[in-house]
Amino acid sequence: MISVGIDAGSATTKAVLVKDDSSIVHSIHPTAFDFVSAAEKAYEDVLRVAGIERKDVDSVYSTGYGRNNINFANKAISEITAHAMGVYHFYSEVKGIIDIGGQDCKVIAVNDGKVTDFLMNDKCAAGTGKFLEYTARALEVPIEELGNLALASESPAGITSMCTVFAESEVISLRAKGFSKEDIAAGLVESIARRVAVMARQVGLKENVAFVGGVAKNTGIKAALEKELGISLHMVPEPQITGALGAALYGNS
Amino acid sequence: MPMPVGKMHSFKSLENIKNSYIERIHQVSDERKKGKKSVGTFCLFVPDEIIFAAGADRMILCGGKNDTVSIAEQYLPRNICPLVKSSFGSIVNDGCSGIKSCSHFSMVDMIVAENTCDSKKKMYELLDNYVPTYVIDLPQRPDTPEAMRYFLSELEKFRDAMEQLTGNKVTDERLKEEIRSSNETRKLLHKLYELRKRDPSPISGIEVLKILQKQYFLSPDKLKEYLRELINEVESTEPEQVHKPRIMISGCPMPGGNTKVPAIIESKGGAIVAEESCTGTRSFWDMVDENKDHMLALAERYIKIPCSCMSPNERRIDNILELAREFKVDGVVYYTLQFCHGYNIEKYKVQQALKKAGIPMLSIETDYSDSDVEQIGLRVDAFLEMIS
Ligand code: SF4
Ligand code: SF4
Repeated sequence: MISVGIDAGSATTKAVLVKDDSSIVHSIHPTAFDFVSAAEKAYEDVLRVAGIERKDVDSVYSTGYGRNNINFANKAISEITAHAMGVYHFYSEVKGIIDIGGQDCKVIAVNDGKVTDFLMNDKCAAGTGKFLEYTARALEVPIEELGNLALASESPAGITSMCTVFAESEVISLRAKGFSKEDIAAGLVESIARRVAVMARQVGLKENVAFVGGVAKNTGIKAALEKELGISLHMVPEPQITGALGAALYGNS
Repeated sequence: MPMPVGKMHSFKSLENIKNSYIERIHQVSDERKKGKKSVGTFCLFVPDEIIFAAGADRMILCGGKNDTVSIAEQYLPRNICPLVKSSFGSIVNDGCSGIKSCSHFSMVDMIVAENTCDSKKKMYELLDNYVPTYVIDLPQRPDTPEAMRYFLSELEKFRDAMEQLTGNKVTDERLKEEIRSSNETRKLLHKLYELRKRDPSPISGIEVLKILQKQYFLSPDKLKEYLRELINEVESTEPEQVHKPRIMISGCPMPGGNTKVPAIIESKGGAIVAEESCTGTRSFWDMVDENKDHMLALAERYIKIPCSCMSPNERRIDNILELAREFKVDGVVYYTLQFCHGYNIEKYKVQQALKKAGIPMLSIETDYSDSDVEQIGLRVDAFLEMIS
């Protein structure tokens, strides 16, 4: 049984090939506003590396933002369902997933790889990568450093606004008042952690929680979230490909 | 590729409804030329029976269109519910200056408003500058004898106001006829909903919504005619045998012009089989007792409408659970408009109750714009995958 999963994200397109439940090959391509050709390229890649021909593939499942554009896929599934299955493959005790990406934030309750409940942030950038991007810019530090900077703070500045636009101006006024970058960074990180923790509690996540998505690499955020939730978060080895992997596994079953 | 979506048929009676707008506009305009009064309403708490018994006509003025929201924002704050903004924008714009299917907004002699949620209540005060607006007060703690007495007295005052507007007496005889007529409509709607209990349901949610959105716009006779035709057609249709997850929508009303969320749900492969909403069961579920003093019977029936402006509102929770069981739903989509505090806050109680009953719920809070169609689509996909 050979199945392929394609995760057509807005920034990158990922393909994963699964053969008989075991060997996994993956490839990542920039999407560059063209879901179809990025998906084609990623697909070709995994076939070449695995030494398999197109005609021998039993199923192709797509997921991600552009999931409905991939015309060679047999079926499209949502990234929420796909991620749950993908994370489960790496971490079979998983009961919950926190996924903070560039545009959105998802909190998923999982049982045996199946979604049992989930929440996504509404129309708003609060609690997403966008929040960090804008506020890091106001702080004039690269977004990757925000987390480490925060870890160096002893007394985080209070950021009261969840709204990205207001938080940005709050950062500017805190700087004008002479707060250190470390303390402001720590305030920002705490603020996003609080926001996400509220969602996690609403869905009832308590233990065996995995942290995925672009923001998961940020150690400061992870630490703040762990403190806020009072649990330690599990990291999966290849967080970028869990969506495509989950899609492939669904095609496999 | 999206999930397979079965387009089974198209009901002829629904095609006819498409043309009903113009017909109705002509009808009301002719009647008005002959001296008949027409009133505009916004809410289920205003008894149709009294309006018709006074010899007036009525059309609902709830706005579902996004186009008129920005017009309203010249007068109203941005952060109130889109239904209020859309309605207000349509009315102050006097027939929406050319926006299609909007002319009825300028065809009423009086508005019959009601004190329900804060946004509407305060909007009515402004509306009175454009169209004479009569407000029925509502006791918001509905379960006491005092509340009943007060509501009855408000309905009596309303009856007098209608008599004054039209110059006709609201006789017992006329009230009796109108109550019987409205009950008949309610029975037809029950019959239509009964058919949706079949699995698979022979009619889609979007199709039912099309007729329910016109429930308080059409004349009662025309509505009944359409309903009878539709029921006949649906009864004789063999639905295609694909099982789809059965969804109930619960929450805010969806006035004409607004079908965003049900359209997404059904295009993703869900089947909407019931709506606990004012464009759904809340409008017709309970009958008016025909064997009682008519005004009292009306007061008793109308005060029980489970709207979130009432407190406590346990009967809404009980009703949702009962509907979910009766219609054998696989999941509930809790639909709210942004800034509708009543339904948004009540969501928590509904969610707890559904959780206890083991019924999954997806919450969608939105407005009339199309900016979140993708995001909602993703949630609906994930929800349908979760419950199938
Ligand atoms: S939701 Fe409440 S206030 Fe709005 S129309 Fe329905 S009954 Fe009236
Ligand atoms: S949807 Fe809510 S806020 Fe809007 S008019 Fe109805 S009850 Fe009021």
